[in-house]
Amino acid sequence: MAKVKSLAELKAMREKLQSTLDLREKSNDPDSLVQIKVAMATCGIAAGAKQVMEHMMEKADELKLGIVFTQTGCMGYVFGHVDNNRADEILTKYVMNNEMVEGVIPVNYETI
Amino acid sequence: MHVLVCGGTGCQASASAQIIENFQRILAEKGLQNEVQVVRTGCFGFCEKGPIVKIMPDNTFYTQVKPEDVEKIINEHIIKGRKVTDLLYLDPENKEHVSDSKHMGFYRKQLRIALRNCGFINPENIDECISRGGYEALGKCLSEMTPQQVIDEVTKSGLRGRGGAGFPTGVKWGLCAKNKCDEMYVICNADEGDPGAFMDRSIMEGDPHSIVEAMAICGYAIGATHGLVYIRAEYPLAIHRLQVAIAQAREYGLLGKDIIPAGYPPSASRHRPGPRIRPAR
Ligand code: FES
Repeated sequence: MAKVKSLAELKAMREKLQSTLDLREKSNDPDSLVQIKVAMATCGIAAGAKQVMEHMMEKADELKLGIVFTQTGCMGYVFGHVDNNRADEILTKYVMNNEMVEGVIPVNYETI
Repeated sequence: MHVLVCGGTGCQASASAQIIENFQRILAEKGLQNEVQVVRTGCFGFCEKGPIVKIMPDNTFYTQVKPEDVEKIINEHIIKGRKVTDLLYLDPENKEHVSDSKHMGFYRKQLRIALRNCGFINPENIDECISRGGYEALGKCLSEMTPQQVIDEVTKSGLRGRGGAGFPTGVKWGLCAKNKCDEMYVICNADEGDPGAFMDRSIMEGDPHSIVEAMAICGYAIGATHGLVYIRAEYPLAIHRLQVAIAQAREYGLLGKDIIPAGYPPSASRHRPGPRIRPAR
């Protein structure tokens, strides 16, 4: 370990290290952040929810969006059919600009 | 996902080490060891209902967890996203389960200052401490302030001793600084003799770097070159954690000789205190 030689170095270190605690910092105050819940029961995982969630997490990082991802149990419908492209759309359209993404929320529902 | 398991003395006494082990083993069996980070923290302050396990990011606070509950938490909560209701805290008044500690009566009104990192970071990992701003105050004092400015700042802050007299810390430091001698020591009295008190132990176990940093700041302010922590032998975990913290701080060059160069006066010899630990026998 190289020695820390100045306050500036220490601050740079802090910045670099911050991502390791990001998840904890954010969840300390989850109400202030966008939360995305990915249904990950057996059925959801079988339908590819895990890949989609991973993809969304990467994308959210890339776009520097402060989002808390949680997985929830089965939401009761094995549709919604979010794939990677859809996931990008959700992030850029809905999260960033507050526009609904067509065709993702099952007809008859306005919110989940 | 992060799983925080309390590794304070209270929870350790009720098998939290076994809980950590079970988490690590079962997660590895399921191939989840890279997705879920298991962290041993210091005391959450809620020992009465320990061992405490907290799951992030949904901030779920499990109480009185037993080693055999771990499998259920992993299967239900971590894998399926369903909280294990019977391990949640039961509000004694309305008899409802509370999942997020923020909504528990005990925590709701708390604003943690000295204990801000306890139960949040892994006390044996200096990186986690630095990522929450650890040692920056020391860095600031050494590179931007004179010892006198540090003393003035502490006086202005109104910080006082927590013993019976409530003596103003800045005044104490000012008096010490005036007293010139060839070897000066900063002594941290962590003996905690009052019956039933364990707040010093909580800090030492949960955020030991804050003590190391504070002692170094005090040393700079009063001109001491050595530090000594007086701890009772009945606090083995606190002793261990402090020793780890001191070694890490040394390794990072945040303690010892020639640490972050002092700005004032530029030519001052740069010996800074390095706390040593002497358990009471
Ligand atoms: S030791 Fe675990 S909450 Fe205090």
